Amino acid sequence: MSADYKTTIVLMALAAAFLALTEAFRLNLWGRVEPPAEVAIVDPFFTNTMTVRTNAAALIRMDGDTSGQDCYACHDKAKPPQVKMNEKNEVVLPEEHNDLVIQHGRNRRNDHCYNCHDSANLDHLLTRDGHRFKLVESTMLCASCHGPTYRDWEVGIHGRVSGYWDRQKGPVTKQDCTACHDPHSPAFTTLKPAPGPHPLHPSPARVQAKGEAVHE
Amino acid sequence: MSDSNDSRSASLKPSGSASDGEMTRRNFLRTTAVAASGVAAMAAVLAPLRELADFPSLDQFLQKHYQEMTPPEMEKVLERIAREVERQYGLRPHVRDLKPMSGVEFVYCLNLTRCVGCRKCVHACVAENNQSRSPEIQYIRVVKMPNGTFDVEKGNHNYAPETVPQKGFFYMPVQCHQCKNPPCVKVCPVKATWQEADGITVIDYDWCIGCRYCEAACPYWARRFNFAKPSIPKDKINPEMSYLGNRPRPRGVVEKCHFCIQRTRAGRYPACLEVCPTGARKFGNILDPNSEVSYILKNKRVFVLKEEVGTLPRFFYYFDV
Repeated sequence: MSADYKTTIVLMALAAAFLALTEAFRLNLWGRVEPPAEVAIVDPFFTNTMTVRTNAAALIRMDGDTSGQDCYACHDKAKPPQVKMNEKNEVVLPEEHNDLVIQHGRNRRNDHCYNCHDSANLDHLLTRDGHRFKLVESTMLCASCHGPTYRDWEVGIHGRVSGYWDRQKGPVTKQDCTACHDPHSPAFTTLKPAPGPHPLHPSPARVQAKGEAVHE
Repeated sequence: MSDSNDSRSASLKPSGSASDGEMTRRNFLRTTAVAASGVAAMAAVLAPLRELADFPSLDQFLQKHYQEMTPPEMEKVLERIAREVERQYGLRPHVRDLKPMSGVEFVYCLNLTRCVGCRKCVHACVAENNQSRSPEIQYIRVVKMPNGTFDVEKGNHNYAPETVPQKGFFYMPVQCHQCKNPPCVKVCPVKATWQEADGITVIDYDWCIGCRYCEAACPYWARRFNFAKPSIPKDKINPEMSYLGNRPRPRGVVEKCHFCIQRTRAGRYPACLEVCPTGARKFGNILDPNSEVSYILKNKRVFVLKEEVGTLPRFFYYFDV
């Protein structure tokens, strides 16, 4: 076998090896890390700054549809409606008010309509000590029982305050109690949580071990 | 091996072949074949380097440190950033360099009694501060904690129930605590991060070298590193930008919560506070005795996360009862 022939064989083998390497690099056989999966854009619901509910006061202020709030569309102005009670001394709602959930206070301690509503004037509110308020002033009615919370609300540390921390630069907006609390069932509602953090490189072993994705 | 070496030296010095010392057609062809395939392999292995093509422009490369720039120089830089954003995202941003206000020191208070763990703050922050959506960068991490402990090791940030809050747990959002004694600033080898007069620890993204020492030094896990070029959909860009705040970051730099510097230095509340449905987040000037945060620190029970590490955070957790 001539030296020249041998050289040709070796060089061709080298060229083949290089080409194989090229293809291997191109196909990424050694695993440069795959880019992580695309993260979906979060639902705009989670970035809007609305309060959790729309209260009657806000509807009245923005001239919204308040037709559902007109008590005397059904009730008679001349005689205040009677509140029915069952044998456990709980209020029994008439069918027309079935959309209300009465859960104010532990064990529905504060479930009587006329604890807050004015029987003589149904679209007004009446405190226990006889102060009468319009629906848009409901916060003052809440304050008549929830003193410490009202104090915190007044200085701006209970409830939502938005706008300007620097009062010289701009105003702040405070919310009514009823913008976040349903007055008939005031415990703060549960919410759907926004998506959690996505793992950069989910490793199947660790995901299985912890039962959920791990963020490095 | 020795055999191939021998034959290669033979081909380089083809003394044994008939055409002594000169390049024959066959010699030329086979050498070219090896050389070409070698070059191809080299090109393939270097291909990932093409992704490094986002080199800085000359004036960006020669740009001074933020604290050494004169106002006219800063003007030029802001103009360059605006141009760059317009080129990449197709809209003209309003880039400013807001300075700290005198007599103002920011403090954040978060009511652990009220937080329900809905994570709206996380996403409002992402939208406000032009964070990368994919890969995902988030400044706020909401930790679900079992009642009765403050040991974050027992917490979990991957909760995904139908509704929150869940019984038996409380939720503790963690973000940059803007420490008065910040370990992240101490470890930075190039002074790319420092504490401003109003208490905000900021980062000059054009000065950061991406060593990630600060990320390791932070006891609150507040800093995030841009492993990839941030990707933000064009219609999601917030055009109200500031140099030290939410302007788009390059790849390879660290970023973190800066109390929405573009909002708060203009007198507004941060985005996470505005979106919080419970009003658990409170922000203000601690040097103003009538501010909300002053009231909280005077009247409420306050908890400082990892107080024992001595970082003196400006971020306080408090309780209603």
